[in-house]
Amino acid sequence: MKVLVPIKRVVDYNVKVRVKADNSGVDLANVKMAMNPFCEIAVEEAVRLKEKGVVTEIIAVTVGSKAAQEQLRTAMALGADRSILVETDQEDVQPLAVAKVLKALVEKESPDLVILGKQAIDGDNSQTGQMLAALTGMPQGTFASEVVVADGKVNVTREVDGGLQTVALDLPAVVTTDLRLNEPRYASLPNIMKAKKKPLETVAPGDLGVDLASSTKTLKVEPPAERQAGIKVASVEELVDKLKNEAKVI
Amino acid sequence: MTEVAEHFRPLLGDNRCLTDADSLARYGVDWTKVWAPAPSAVLLPETIEEVQEIVRLANEHGIALVPSGGRTGLSAGAVAADGEVVIAFDRMNKILDFEPFERSVTVQPGVVTQQLQEFADEQGLFYPVDFASAGSSQIGGNIGTNAGGIKVIRYGMTRDWVSGLKVVTGKGDLLELNKGLAKNATGYDFRHLFIGSEGTLGLVVEATIQLARKPRDLTVLVLGCPGFRDVMNVLHSFQEKIDLTAFEFFSDKAMHHVLAHGVARPFDTEAPFYCLLEFEGDSPQVLEDAMGIFESCVEKGWVLDGAMSQSLQQAEQLWQLRERISESISVYTPYKNDISVTVGKVPDFVEKVDAVVQDNYPDFEIVWFGHIGDGNMHLNILKPDALDKDEFFQRCNHVSRWVFEIVQKYNGSISAEHGVGRTKKPYLQYSRSAEEIAAMKAVKAVFDPNGIMNPGKLFDL
Repeated sequence: MKVLVPIKRVVDYNVKVRVKADNSGVDLANVKMAMNPFCEIAVEEAVRLKEKGVVTEIIAVTVGSKAAQEQLRTAMALGADRSILVETDQEDVQPLAVAKVLKALVEKESPDLVILGKQAIDGDNSQTGQMLAALTGMPQGTFASEVVVADGKVNVTREVDGGLQTVALDLPAVVTTDLRLNEPRYASLPNIMKAKKKPLETVAPGDLGVDLASSTKTLKVEPPAERQAGIKVASVEELVDKLKNEAKVI
Repeated sequence: MTEVAEHFRPLLGDNRCLTDADSLARYGVDWTKVWAPAPSAVLLPETIEEVQEIVRLANEHGIALVPSGGRTGLSAGAVAADGEVVIAFDRMNKILDFEPFERSVTVQPGVVTQQLQEFADEQGLFYPVDFASAGSSQIGGNIGTNAGGIKVIRYGMTRDWVSGLKVVTGKGDLLELNKGLAKNATGYDFRHLFIGSEGTLGLVVEATIQLARKPRDLTVLVLGCPGFRDVMNVLHSFQEKIDLTAFEFFSDKAMHHVLAHGVARPFDTEAPFYCLLEFEGDSPQVLEDAMGIFESCVEKGWVLDGAMSQSLQQAEQLWQLRERISESISVYTPYKNDISVTVGKVPDFVEKVDAVVQDNYPDFEIVWFGHIGDGNMHLNILKPDALDKDEFFQRCNHVSRWVFEIVQKYNGSISAEHGVGRTKKPYLQYSRSAEEIAAMKAVKAVFDPNGIMNPGKLFDL
């Protein structure tokens, strides 16, 4: 069984992002980049399925600049067998464009399962997996907290409001990973070295017949308003008065 | 008791001259918790003038003063157990000035270490002195104890970052020391006398601190080694090529406790010793070098396995393996020693200490960890369940004598970064000669002729 794991290079979770002075976007100069945390969970799940003997091949894929090779190498150090970089220098590729690229790769590679993060921590869109399912006609199990493959089906337990829902999907299927699915391992140094020798193929979006042009345009990016300093009140009466008449919350 | 407070009440008022039981209990104790707090009053000055006036009054009435910062010390340097007056700097907690050109910041002593770190970060700079209690400890206390921590291998101790100090001596004089200068060859540099003096000479009332450039892409490696000497070989191999920002080690016992505490395992292979190293992974070249060194260490049999952080978040998580050791063993009431020798002597030294403890107390579990890159080791002895706490500490005090005799033989320090305070006072002679201690006392007499500053700490007069 073959698994395709799309991943994304994003600003490191621990970096405090700053908005560019001209409000055109987030300042990425000299900022540490890393694999999107939900993608790490997707890679880990694929590797665990391989360790269980369910999966035979894991292909990591990303859409991004040459620098994104770094994250593909990480995925291979964690256990992916090979990887594909769909190279573009275009910043801010939208989920629909990524889903189209993935559709083309699904047609080319015929995976039994596509496992990807439920969202990326930069755009926070949570759209790519769903769009891929729609474009390919594959069933989807989103926000997975448990994934079990058996008898040509994948059972996906989903975290929904008020509890857990388990859906049984025919393969091939799309699964998006939630936070509690697993705890990703660290890349071991011997595996990082082995990953350097694993195949990494680079293709252009055009080779896959996909145009990455965006149909949306970012007008302005602004940081959240700074929190105002608090004040001290002298009495309970004053507090109640302020809550009533200033904050208007009671 | 309250009479003492009355001398200061007209100066500070009721709100800043505290005598309630809660405040006395809170301000009279540090993290050692061996001595019961019993100060007469807690004073909260807001200006240098007030500090000077407090010192004048204390001299006039013969009142002992205990300077107090975040009270996170581990040697009882800030403990007030004998009716002293605590002078706490909680209200002198402002960042006064930032000089981008000098890359320096002038702060009041009550600024919390983490507050300074965050301020530096906002300016695009870095305050590199960092340790577990940075969220509570104050700069004044850091200076008084010459605090070290986890980045000493690259950035040195607090001492290396203080370019100017304003102090009020035990006599009441206000001295401006070095004034932020990078070069100043005009005789005795009293700044360095006050740094690490544990409040026995006077009070730090303002400090000018230098900042560093921010480290880029900090990358963490955790390696498992078959023997202790291999850890040292790994250190040497990396230091030949890469500027490490940290090199920590911990034993399998420490690893066992920290994993049981819920921290994730770095890799499956088990090893008797582990080391954690950190460097700026900001170029493909340095990462390439690190991999090459790792490979050669494996070939030589010094390393069994290892993991490398792939993001800043993972780097932080791997640090938990080291940073959470103390809290993971705290349930065993550990007896702690903080000792150092020069790096080259570390393996022999550790072997000797280990043997002495094992031979005499085979029922004791020893947990080693520490800043091995600086020759600094934290020796923790865990209390066996069956043993009573008092008896355990009594037996540990015997162990300490033996350990400190070995420290002395290896020209080491009985307190690498925790200070002397009250807990290590009986052992000072293992690290300092009689002549040195006499000179220290003579220096104290110059700045604090009446002996009002933190009496009973460091040495007895």
